[in-house]
Amino acid sequence: MKKALSMLLVLGLAGGLLSACGNSGNNGNSPQASSEASSAPSQAAATESSASEKKDVTLSYLASQDWIKEPEMKLAEKFEEQTGIHIDYQIVPSDQYFNVLKAKLAAGEAPDIFGGQSGKFDLGPLYDVENNAVDLTNEEWVKREDPLFIEQATWNSKVYALTIWDPSSSWIIVYNKKIFEKLGLSIPKSYAEFLSVCEAIKASGITPIYEPVSDGWHHVLWFPELGVRYEEQDPGLAGKLINNQEKFENAAVLEQSLSQFNELMQKGFFGDNALSNTYADTEKNMASGQYAMTVYNIGLPAQIEKAVPGSSAADYGFFPIPLNDNQGLNVNPAAPSKFISVSSKHIDEAKQYFAYLTQPENLQYLLDNEPKFTDLNFSGVKAKFNENQKAFFDTYGQHTGTVYQTAINYLNPQWMDIGKDMTAMIGKQMTPKDILKNIDKRREQLAKTAKDSNWK
Amino acid sequence: MTKRMYPFYFVSIALCFYVVFTVVPGLMGIYLSLTDWNSYAKEIHFVGLANFKTIFSSDENYLLGIKNTVIFTISTIMIKTVIGLLLAVLVNKGIKWKSLHRVILFLPAVIPMLVVGIIFKSIFEPQQGFMNEALRAIGLNAWTQHWLTDIQWAFKSIIAVDVWKGAGYIMVILLASLQAISNSYYEAAEIDGANAFMKFRFITVPLLMPALTVTTVLNLLYGLKVFDTVYVLTNGGPGYATEVVYTQVFSQFSLGSYGVGTALITVLFFIMTLLGYFAIKLMSREEQN
Repeated sequence: MKKALSMLLVLGLAGGLLSACGNSGNNGNSPQASSEASSAPSQAAATESSASEKKDVTLSYLASQDWIKEPEMKLAEKFEEQTGIHIDYQIVPSDQYFNVLKAKLAAGEAPDIFGGQSGKFDLGPLYDVENNAVDLTNEEWVKREDPLFIEQATWNSKVYALTIWDPSSSWIIVYNKKIFEKLGLSIPKSYAEFLSVCEAIKASGITPIYEPVSDGWHHVLWFPELGVRYEEQDPGLAGKLINNQEKFENAAVLEQSLSQFNELMQKGFFGDNALSNTYADTEKNMASGQYAMTVYNIGLPAQIEKAVPGSSAADYGFFPIPLNDNQGLNVNPAAPSKFISVSSKHIDEAKQYFAYLTQPENLQYLLDNEPKFTDLNFSGVKAKFNENQKAFFDTYGQHTGTVYQTAINYLNPQWMDIGKDMTAMIGKQMTPKDILKNIDKRREQLAKTAKDSNWK
Repeated sequence: MTKRMYPFYFVSIALCFYVVFTVVPGLMGIYLSLTDWNSYAKEIHFVGLANFKTIFSSDENYLLGIKNTVIFTISTIMIKTVIGLLLAVLVNKGIKWKSLHRVILFLPAVIPMLVVGIIFKSIFEPQQGFMNEALRAIGLNAWTQHWLTDIQWAFKSIIAVDVWKGAGYIMVILLASLQAISNSYYEAAEIDGANAFMKFRFITVPLLMPALTVTTVLNLLYGLKVFDTVYVLTNGGPGYATEVVYTQVFSQFSLGSYGVGTALITVLFFIMTLLGYFAIKLMSREEQN
């Protein structure tokens, strides 16, 4: 009897574990919610009603760190003053964001608005937008947004997200001109020259590259951002990968860039603290003069100048990520975007907020007050490029190509997994080949689940 | 002859709740672990043991998660029990301001894990964190480490944080039992010439065995279910170095691979049941001895 009781006790306690799994596959997208979405009134009507009366509504907005800019929060305050609709921002650390978001979507606990990375191949596999997001195709701002960005926010001919981002925000190397001048260094034109530059900087006691690995996503940029160069080295590779006629594992150019990234790490060019460095500290660390370069957008110098008193944006220059001897400019029309949850009780109010944000004067306010942005993906907005930025685009802007996370299907959804793999490579637990094999494996899993005919 | 004091139907309501909310979902969980349930497909298909084959496949990281979970559980049980027992003996008799010390030692157990995570992330920060600063201050620069980002140290650091948080809790349970041990045993042992170690080994430990059984089973179940400590401190990284079953389950569920995630929990369920059963059996035998 005692043994039986003991067994029952253990089974009971352990059984609690399994209870959580006994849930149906319903993502909380009730027919009621769907009908609410389809019967939503037009944006114009929503804006008109807001002008006449204030509502006591709070919209929850889940987003990853760094996706919501300060000027947008100011606009949200003004929006609340005008309409009474409060935006409750819930910012999640970037390394945990997709897990948190997908867990919430799966549990039917989605916020009213959620952030997500757009991408024409990813909206289905990554966010299941047909079941989780409201169709925004007929919103007025869709006509004014850059069609390249709209394409990345579209799934099965329907627009599901609003993207307000800098179309010129390619990930490139931002370098400290003073350090380069002091050491007599010039901009590297090849990977070999880049290695020499790093050697010289390291020898001077300065860490060559600031790399915030701890965020889990930033160090991945070194790999798929080089789409322009991969296509140059192996023409048609993207097409073959999309159609499953080629595997990542067999693509020598992809292994080459991962190996070179690993070489930079193993040679100590990222310093001792790369695994602990955070993206949020980039401005502070670059301004300190302890680091000479980092991968960032052209808006970083202005951010440094704003964040660190005494620093000057003019002290920084740019060149493309030189792995695989890259000299082209990587372009990515996919960016952090805003989706309205189909299960939200305030779909009209969320649409009203989107309409407010995309009013031309508000877009200009956002651009003028966000140092990271130099332009926006909407017509009628005046860009603010400085001389350094113009010079960079004049030099490298003639030779461009799309980044692989946007050009190739089933790659972007595994961004954070690739990040873990690359960290394991840094710790000598994996090889570049292992990473590529894992990418193939995850692509196959995603493709088969999506019933992609190329993977049958 | 034993006569039942109350009729069986007295427990029927509780039993119904237990069956509906624990047994049935548990059985459904086991069934779902045998399916391809995922967030991308409307239909669920029976796939037999395919999810378990994936988990036990050598080129996947799931085995590492299971291994880490077992290592975490065994090491935290041992360390927390030893430290908890020593602290219990200390605050029972051998120290001034006993009540104050008891409160201080128990305090970590009531701090939410999220707060503990934030505190220790700051303490373990390699450049300005308290840990490395303290080591540098006393001239032990060579001992400074990247506590949470070095593959060699990350898992050990997580274990250390969990021990710091949980040892006080074990201490309180053991202290309650310790106070129930009559002084006459110790007096008799002294008359027989027993030294302090012998009294501890032959009186304290055997009489604490029921309490040790409870703490071991609780630690076992807690350890195998560990999630928050790892999630907050390293999120399974660097790379996959500190992945445990539940961080993998969380990742699988957030990727929409519910079938594999449920299969992982099912594996853990069987491990937990087996280990729990043997732990109780073994320690009950010790109690009887």
